[in-house]
Amino acid sequence: MRKRRGRIQLRLDRDERAALEMIVEQLSAKVGQVPRTVPVAYEDAEMQREYDRWVRPEVDRSRNQDLDVIRASLGSGEDVTALTEEQALAWVRGLNLLRLTAGGLLGVEDDGWDLRADETVRRSPEYRVLLALGLLQEELVAVLEG
Amino acid sequence: MAPATAQPSAPTEAPIEVPAGGERSLRDPGWDVVVWNDPITLMSYVVLVFRRLFGYDFETATRLMLQVHHEGKAVVATQPREQAEVSVSRLHGFGLQATLGRG
Repeated sequence: MRKRRGRIQLRLDRDERAALEMIVEQLSAKVGQVPRTVPVAYEDAEMQREYDRWVRPEVDRSRNQDLDVIRASLGSGEDVTALTEEQALAWVRGLNLLRLTAGGLLGVEDDGWDLRADETVRRSPEYRVLLALGLLQEELVAVLEG
Repeated sequence: MAPATAQPSAPTEAPIEVPAGGERSLRDPGWDVVVWNDPITLMSYVVLVFRRLFGYDFETATRLMLQVHHEGKAVVATQPREQAEVSVSRLHGFGLQATLGRG
């Protein structure tokens, strides 16, 4: 991955794109089932209800748009996709949402989860997805910040 | 928060205006925008979010990220309520755990 002429070049081969497409579809269906993916703004229940009514739909809409950007990139059929900065930001936001979902499904509650994971956890699909998406997200963040 | 490597750069997204404490209105003393630790989100990503949303320099964003990581939470801005709610909703859009409360 690198930045060239203001665009971020994301290189993913066919197998990687197919795997990511499957991950996006499976995890995006479970967003909202994991507490960390449910936006909580207020301790006060009435204020939170107002937030859910007036603000949360916009948060949900922007999250869906981010996932659509990822889907469009993966569906391009190209090994190299040139992302604008906005598209790259959509990617890192979308990857974070998918990681939060995978982590919730895995039952991650505390820092250091990756160091404490036993062999059973390390073999689970959610664990591998969490690490793989983290590597991709970290690489994109580094390019955005570079 | 999960560790990661971060590199400095300039923000390109229009940052949320962060008024200094002395500029708070008497009618609205300000609401704290609080970001909470979560064990999944990458440290480097949190720094990027603070820089993009609030226009903080790399050192300030990193200090706030580390405060979230070590103390469990940090006040990243104090703003009038409507503005604070916008900040929280944008943080939610980035997937961070953020709340607002009276400062």
